[in-house]
Amino acid sequence: MKRITEFLEALGKSYKLVLETLKVGFQRPFDSQLILDQIYQIGVRSIPLVFIVAVSSGMVMALQFGYGLAKFGGKLYVPKIVSLSIVREMGPVFACLMLAARVSAGITSEIGSMKVSQQIDAIRALGTSPLKKIVFPRLAACMVAIPMLSAAAIIIGVIGGLIVGSMELGLDSQFYLQKIFSTLKLHDFISGFGKSFFFAFFIATTSCYFGLSVTGGTQGVGYATTKSVVTSCILIVVGDYFLTKFFMVIEQWL
Amino acid sequence: MVVIKVKNLSKKFGGKTIHKNINFEVFQGECLGLLGGSGAGKSVILRSLIGLEKPDGGSIQIEGEEIVSKEEDQLIEIRKKVAYVFQNGALFDSMNVYDNLAYPLKEHTTLNHAEISKEIHKLLEEFGLEGTSEVYPSELSGGMQKRVGLARSIIIKPKIVLFDEPTAGLDPYNTIKIQETIIKLKQKGMTSIFVTHDMPTAFAVCDRLALVQEGKIACVDSVSEIKKDKSNRINQFISGIYI
Ligand SMILES: Nc1ncnc2c1ncn2[C@@H]1O[C@H](COP(=O)(O)OP(=O)(O)OP(=O)(O)O)[C@@H](O)[C@H]1O
Ligand SMILES: [Mg+2]
Repeated sequence: MKRITEFLEALGKSYKLVLETLKVGFQRPFDSQLILDQIYQIGVRSIPLVFIVAVSSGMVMALQFGYGLAKFGGKLYVPKIVSLSIVREMGPVFACLMLAARVSAGITSEIGSMKVSQQIDAIRALGTSPLKKIVFPRLAACMVAIPMLSAAAIIIGVIGGLIVGSMELGLDSQFYLQKIFSTLKLHDFISGFGKSFFFAFFIATTSCYFGLSVTGGTQGVGYATTKSVVTSCILIVVGDYFLTKFFMVIEQWL
Repeated sequence: MVVIKVKNLSKKFGGKTIHKNINFEVFQGECLGLLGGSGAGKSVILRSLIGLEKPDGGSIQIEGEEIVSKEEDQLIEIRKKVAYVFQNGALFDSMNVYDNLAYPLKEHTTLNHAEISKEIHKLLEEFGLEGTSEVYPSELSGGMQKRVGLARSIIIKPKIVLFDEPTAGLDPYNTIKIQETIIKLKQKGMTSIFVTHDMPTAFAVCDRLALVQEGKIACVDSVSEIKKDKSNRINQFISGIYI
């Protein structure tokens, strides 16, 4: 019971946090440098991680499906199945789960340390807003960088599948490519890529919320960081189910 | 003229009562010293005065304006007028000393780069911090961090300054330097509250001293009065009879 009220309270507070951040974030003067710095931290520096995760997951899936389907003589379906599942699910979800770990931990521990060392109070005491100076740039950077990384993960993952398909499974790479293009429709990409905006939002709000609510000393920072990573990951996996349904409805309209 | 007026202020943290009933006033151009044992709630009083802490009850008026009921975005104007000098400096550790000092100037003034740089170097010299402008806070000593924090708080020339133990942990030379700075600011019309355990400095810069005890202001007296009357409650606190 206590956990449920705690959860609802956190939900209400983060909702308020987002509204207030959007309110002050677009007020002038608009400091784009802060956002660019965060895009570098959150986006550019995550590229190696996303690359490794995407290429390996694509390769593993091609391998698994390749040997699994070969038993039923279905090896020719590998390009179709692998690329569909990467574009619609595995690409964005794996990438965002890894980003949830890296980005949430980074943001929460940074904001949390600023909180316990009174730097957040100092921003307020100097007549400025931590929502504008700290939260908004991170939220904006996540909304830009994470979907771009997810799109990259999708493409890299499909290529990973192609590599294994042609080198390991002995499928013709021309055939593989042709199958990819005949299978994938724009709405598959929209469904996968579209989710990543929601995942980005989950990651950004969770990590800023937990960072700002740190109390106590360094121990509090560690505790909040753990909670933040776990919460973002859970939001992504659970949210994924509902988002998949949501995008299925949208696809019917397209 | 009364600049700061605090009435019936009360504050609890969890179940623990910090302030029962705090009442005091600070007049234009005056420096009020706040004394009291460690944990008496002096920092919490200062934090409440600029809205960093929300009191449970009571009223705080700054130049006649009630601030307890104000929302965060309405407090910005108050915070430009009232500076808070943090006990530990509270410097931004992702910025070097120069950028820390430039922060309030960039936010609240229209000075250009050259003017900002001039202002900062003047202040660094005044606080004996020449040559540190490129240094990051983590590479400074505790005392240096405090002085940078003090410089950052007064750089936009606020009318009211709340000092939270600005001389604690400083060497005698820098303590005197800070006393001189405060006296100079007072001559320019600054109103201030000065929280300290450093009695020589309190006697040097304050006009009146107040003692915070058991969630109340136990006693307020002018410095000249306290110096004369050895049996004064504040004198007893200073000599360690009360805490
Ligand atoms: N955010 C907070 N949460 C819980 N308790 C707090 C908080 N801030 C302060 N306190 C408590 O309030 C009391 C007063 O703290 P405060 O920092 O004002 O003391 P102080 O008089 O400034 O002491 P010192 O001279 O040591 O700086 C302390 O007992 C402290 O534990
Ligand atoms: Mg204190």
